[in-house]
Amino acid sequence: MEKKECIVLKNADLGYKKNNTNVSILNAVNLKFYTGDFIGIVGVNGVGKSTLLKSLCGLLPTLSGEILIDQQPVSDYLLNDLAKKIAIVLTEKIGGFNLTAYDVVAAGQMPYTNSFNRFEKENLAIIESAIKITGISAHQHKLLNELSDGLFQKTIIAKALAQQTPIMLLDEPSAFLDYASKHDLFLLLKRLANEENKCVLVSSHDLDLLLKYCTKLLVISNKSIELISVSEAKTNAVFKEIGGGFI
Amino acid sequence: MKENNTIKFLLLIILLVISCLLSLFYGGSESIHLNDVFSDNFIFWHLRLPKTITAIIAGCTLSAAGLILQIIFRNPLAGPYVLGISSGASLMVAISILAGGTLHLFSDLFIGKTFIVLSAITGSFLITLLILAISKKVNSNIVLLLIGLMLSQICGAIQTALEYFSDANSLKSFVIWGMGSLSNTTNFDLMIYFPLALIFLLALLFFIKPLNALLLGENYAQNVGINFRSNRFYLILISSVLTGLTTAFCGPIAFIGIAVPILSRMIFKSSKQHLHIISCLLLGSILLLLSDALANSAIKTISLPINMITTFIGAPMVIYLMFKNKSW
Repeated sequence: MEKKECIVLKNADLGYKKNNTNVSILNAVNLKFYTGDFIGIVGVNGVGKSTLLKSLCGLLPTLSGEILIDQQPVSDYLLNDLAKKIAIVLTEKIGGFNLTAYDVVAAGQMPYTNSFNRFEKENLAIIESAIKITGISAHQHKLLNELSDGLFQKTIIAKALAQQTPIMLLDEPSAFLDYASKHDLFLLLKRLANEENKCVLVSSHDLDLLLKYCTKLLVISNKSIELISVSEAKTNAVFKEIGGGFI
Repeated sequence: MKENNTIKFLLLIILLVISCLLSLFYGGSESIHLNDVFSDNFIFWHLRLPKTITAIIAGCTLSAAGLILQIIFRNPLAGPYVLGISSGASLMVAISILAGGTLHLFSDLFIGKTFIVLSAITGSFLITLLILAISKKVNSNIVLLLIGLMLSQICGAIQTALEYFSDANSLKSFVIWGMGSLSNTTNFDLMIYFPLALIFLLALLFFIKPLNALLLGENYAQNVGINFRSNRFYLILISSVLTGLTTAFCGPIAFIGIAVPILSRMIFKSSKQHLHIISCLLLGSILLLLSDALANSAIKTISLPINMITTFIGAPMVIYLMFKNKSW
């Protein structure tokens, strides 16, 4: 399948604003990601994996430099248009207010509904298929508070699927999943990258899974950010350090 | 599931009609007979009917404001009264009555009323913004509630100080108004109260999608295309206007704003907010109408303060929720 640039970072400083001063966590980042890429992001806790993912979808501001999504700066997008380009799975917990698993998945189709949030037949079909693909059909009418951590995780992933975006960002999606579900998830993400030509970025501490399924690895340390192919991982000094000698 | 909701709504509408009749015919020391309605009965047309309409508007506005606040704070224990927003509105009204008295603003009825309404809205808006700023520093629902309580104590203390310096006439109107009452609204007041309340309640219909998205929290709302900050601002504005309006005409009314959305979520097991907006309007009206009928008919010849009744309904509910620690 044809590969084209979908995410470009040009000399970008990433971080957050606190009391109007910039707190930069990742500096002068230059990266390019293509459609069909399945990229694993590795790095120790607090190194800036979540910061990178949140900056890519506009949840955090680009402090300087540029992030281009399909040739257009993130900050220039209408939110509703950006919602059709990038879906994100975060680590935060939500719940309450009678929210069911189904409601959360349905929220993924929100960018495609009218201003009264009315779901048409085609919206419902997409929601239904996202629920089926992630295997949460039996639990879709449960309240979020009643779901196990793993099922909750799958629900949020289904929401991201229902958003039907060419780019998917996932922040430690495998953290709470059981062994089989972890492999199911990575197989699914790999299939989405291969067959639907999506660009999938996933941060994870499950290094063996990343090595097994991803096409490239983004290795982040305090000193450097490098994009390497999976075959280079074993000889990469930073990756070996993150693996602590166990890989 | 859907048919079930239709039945529930039908029941609520029937209940609304019944409570309207109860409030109209038993909502005062004098009971009204059906033939009074068709004659030019002063009590019915100038006391009872405006009071019943006021109860409906107050019930709708406070419940809608409570619903908005609970979603914005993502806290089922939020409400205009418990967060001190009603007190903020009260304080501004107290200040404006005092200032208006000295500035002779009240010689013109319309200007006087408008002045009071605007100050009540300003008061509730400022307190909401303050609470919002505080809520970013604290994570605990309970702490937020305590801060709201303290804010309303502070507003109350300032109000007491103002009362101390006011003349006998203003003092009397302060105290009566501060107890909360549905019967101070005249037919003239309703001509201001009703259209403004209606406009801002209708405005809420354009925020169904943001309200649904806000349930998912700031980040996910943004990721599905909803501008969190701007929507939150407009929603706070709407809830402030709704709370301020009602506080200006009825005084601070306790616990309706917190109890009704909770009740609505208990009855309708859904997270769809268009459903809850409608049910909050119905439930709020019903609850306040029944409270009014109860306040006036519980003890013959004495009409109890409406806040006493609403507190008896609302406060146990809040306590129950705190113990249950389940997010409705």
